[in-house]
Amino acid sequence: MRAILLLLVLTLAGGASALHAQVDYHAGLGVTWATALLRDDVINEIEVRQKLAPTLVLGAALPIAPLYHAGLELALTTSGYQSKETGGTTVDLGTVRTSSITLGLDGPVSQGLRWRAGAGLLRYWPSEERGIFLRGGTTRFLAGAGIDYRRPILAQWDLMASLRYDFHRFTTDELEARAFSQSQGVQRIAATIGLARGRR
Amino acid sequence: MSPRSRRLLPLLCLAGGPALLSCADIATPSRTIAYEWRRIVATATGPDTLSFHWPQSRLPVRVWAEDTLNLPAHVQHGLGRWDAAFLYGEFRSVVVSDSSVADVIVTSGIAPKGGFSVTRLESFMAPECQGATDIELDASGHQILPPIRVYVDPRFEPSSPGVDACMALTTTHELGHSLGIFNHSPNSDDLMFADPTVTDLSPRDRATAELAYHTEPTLTIAPR
Repeated sequence: MRAILLLLVLTLAGGASALHAQVDYHAGLGVTWATALLRDDVINEIEVRQKLAPTLVLGAALPIAPLYHAGLELALTTSGYQSKETGGTTVDLGTVRTSSITLGLDGPVSQGLRWRAGAGLLRYWPSEERGIFLRGGTTRFLAGAGIDYRRPILAQWDLMASLRYDFHRFTTDELEARAFSQSQGVQRIAATIGLARGRR
Repeated sequence: MSPRSRRLLPLLCLAGGPALLSCADIATPSRTIAYEWRRIVATATGPDTLSFHWPQSRLPVRVWAEDTLNLPAHVQHGLGRWDAAFLYGEFRSVVVSDSSVADVIVTSGIAPKGGFSVTRLESFMAPECQGATDIELDASGHQILPPIRVYVDPRFEPSSPGVDACMALTTTHELGHSLGIFNHSPNSDDLMFADPTVTDLSPRDRATAELAYHTEPTLTIAPR
């Protein structure tokens, strides 16, 4: 994780080097929706789910072939999460933040539209160590894909709208200690809008 | 295959396969290990089942502890154990300094006569201390009148060996009764066994507490 962050910093710092002209940067704000973190059955079904999460995305990429780029993308989200029992009550469980870093490739689809696919790590940072996070947050492998649409608005700047889909398997140390086995498939969809600079 | 399809192929391969794998749910543990927590009482019309859990509207449950015999520390420790038993915010508690607003009052001493004693812990395997939890019901027999009173008392000089440890585990045990576990576990490995010797909640204790908090209670609690 530390190495990936270092790589990201170095990539961004590369703007001052000879690579400056080739590095593509982007930043965006949006929201992330996620499927349930956990489904349990205690008399009735219980679901733990994050609320719609405000999202910040930062990325940098370098060309690796005439049409393709490789880059890192950092995504941060923060939202409440809650448990909901079928036919019962909904309980707010606090706030959980996530940070993910993915190494990805992107390529062209058509004019202004590019695909992106990548893999990386996702970390959950709960505001309180209780419940499913009693033994702290968790780091999971993440894979995903998405589509970017860019439209020039200034000489160096593009307006960039992105749609991302990613998935990971969720569990925590506390759930494992409670004899939950395997893990829960979690899928997320993020929509962001922002600015990109560098690529033409 | 068109050039556009060829361009999208890597994306579909990367996303499609793992996406299918990501659909499966986590495998949940069985709660069948739980013991009976409800109390069956005889009434004029036949047996009645008494069960209770603190409703969400009353959380956090306010607990007051008498400042003697290390009781505040034992209560804090015991509440921490029970808070940690729940995964989905079913129970939360807070220690308060004003007994007049407390939902649960923990004191040193032997439980007096009166009220409806749901549980009375008589410890034989650990003879250093004893505990009891008194829950008073209204005339209808289906509403608890707060506060729930917990009594923990040393049988010997408090500084005697083993007394403080006994007070700690007995306090946690009695707090379990105040949460709604009105019966004792038949298993000696559980903290809610009648004569507990273990110091922490067992998986059975936790499963029982979880079931109690996801089962419709027959008792309500009056406003404080």
